[in-house]
Amino acid sequence: MAFNTLHLYIKSMGMLLKGQLQYTSSFIMQTLAQLIMEGGEMLAVILVIDRFENLGHWTGGNLFFFFGLMSVSFYITEFFGRGVTGNFPSMVRSGQLDTLLLRPRGVLIQVLCSGTDPRRITCIAVGTVSLIMGSNMSDVSWNALKIMVLIESILMSCMLILGLFLIEGIFCIHSVKSVELVNALTYGGRSACQYPIDIYPRPLKTLFSVVAPFALTMHVPASYIMDKPLYGWPVWTAFVTPLSGAVVFGIMTVLFNRGIKFYRSTGS
Amino acid sequence: MRAYLSVFRMRLKMELQYRGAMIGGIICQMFFGIVLVALYRALYASKAQTIPIEQVTTYVWLQQAFFRMMIATDVDLYDKVKTGNISYDLCRPVDMYWFYYIRVTAQKLMGSLMRGIPMMIVAFLLPRGWGITPPSSIPGLLTGLVALLVGLLCMSALENITMAFTMRTLDPRGMQSLLNLLMITFSGNLLPLTLFPDSWQKVITMLPYAQLLDAPIRLYSGEYPPDDFLLIILRQAGWTVVLITVGIMMWKQNQKKMIIQGG
Repeated sequence: MAFNTLHLYIKSMGMLLKGQLQYTSSFIMQTLAQLIMEGGEMLAVILVIDRFENLGHWTGGNLFFFFGLMSVSFYITEFFGRGVTGNFPSMVRSGQLDTLLLRPRGVLIQVLCSGTDPRRITCIAVGTVSLIMGSNMSDVSWNALKIMVLIESILMSCMLILGLFLIEGIFCIHSVKSVELVNALTYGGRSACQYPIDIYPRPLKTLFSVVAPFALTMHVPASYIMDKPLYGWPVWTAFVTPLSGAVVFGIMTVLFNRGIKFYRSTGS
Repeated sequence: MRAYLSVFRMRLKMELQYRGAMIGGIICQMFFGIVLVALYRALYASKAQTIPIEQVTTYVWLQQAFFRMMIATDVDLYDKVKTGNISYDLCRPVDMYWFYYIRVTAQKLMGSLMRGIPMMIVAFLLPRGWGITPPSSIPGLLTGLVALLVGLLCMSALENITMAFTMRTLDPRGMQSLLNLLMITFSGNLLPLTLFPDSWQKVITMLPYAQLLDAPIRLYSGEYPPDDFLLIILRQAGWTVVLITVGIMMWKQNQKKMIIQGG
């Protein structure tokens, strides 16, 4: 069953990709726009480093690493999880969600199968460049363990981001209008946690360590990789704390499936 | 003239209706403001700059307060292009460019006032070094307000140029996000223009994007002395006239080549 579902997901991703690539010039244009957009974000970081050099005990190289980790994770999520991060609200509003309820698969997996955003590939590329730059400038000595931590961190961050976007989905089902509030967690979290957590005042620290634990999935492992453990925490925390991403995703999945029971169709 | 006035009034009233969206927008924008202020405070703690931190936080808050002025667009027009309903607009006894110029100006004005005023009040109440500082002087405040109004006219002119580009394609997202990004970067929303490298600032402050919010904010905070007011207003007004002229030409051309979607 699980294997079959995965097969379905890969198949629908393939079809969606093919579909999007049909409009070649529009696709290239939008992909370039994405490149410039993420390039602009990175430019801001470059200018900040140019003017301020350091941020507390973090060097410029460290900051590039944090920025890269955030963009890679965030845009991988938008690439593969577009169904949740973008399409879902309109599916509820238009009543399209009804069709998903009729099929013999979970709603969430079908929502995930419903969209992809390949234009984000350039954003992921910018993030990767920033990660490599950051790792070179901070003289990271890579070993197998560190690579594992990096992969774990990216995967768990993706799950966390997906989980946070699910909150928006749950709100949508209950037809609460103030979706912008959730944006403070998702897009706000992206903006805030491009920079290491320990520079922020306590309320923001708490928000991004407990409610939306970007600090646990990204900053703890990243600072271990750069040999500057966050708050001086021991090594094992770098392996354990990212798992909070999976926890958030798990909780949100349960709540989402409960929320679906309250779904009332808007009609066709 | 009366027709345009009533379009303006109607759009003002219509924008006033979206109060639910307003509250969400304010909270979100406040949150972004607090994150940015915290970041700049941390950066200043590592290496202080010649520009005082109070000026940077004021800059951040004013940018956030008037963010809506930048991003509000007339979504109706895209729908009309897509569905072919634009043909109705061609029948109206008003000039299409000015019709949409007035609409979007009203939308931007009301949208940003509704969000900006409550946000500025809250930001004033924040402790010093976190919130907005009072204007440098009374002339600074008054000239800043005038510059903000001219900035609004300039912004609507830019918006109509973006519209003109997007009218040529059915899927406006690519071009729109590209132009918006230019605006967000070079108007000082992403990073205050005062923190750009000094050599860049000489060029950037001449660009049309700096005329929107950067010039009014600098007048307010006293970075531009009120004596330079005339020069600044002239620069703003000059760009506005240029952008409107370019916009009108593009719209005329679009109207000539327009293909109406049927169905």
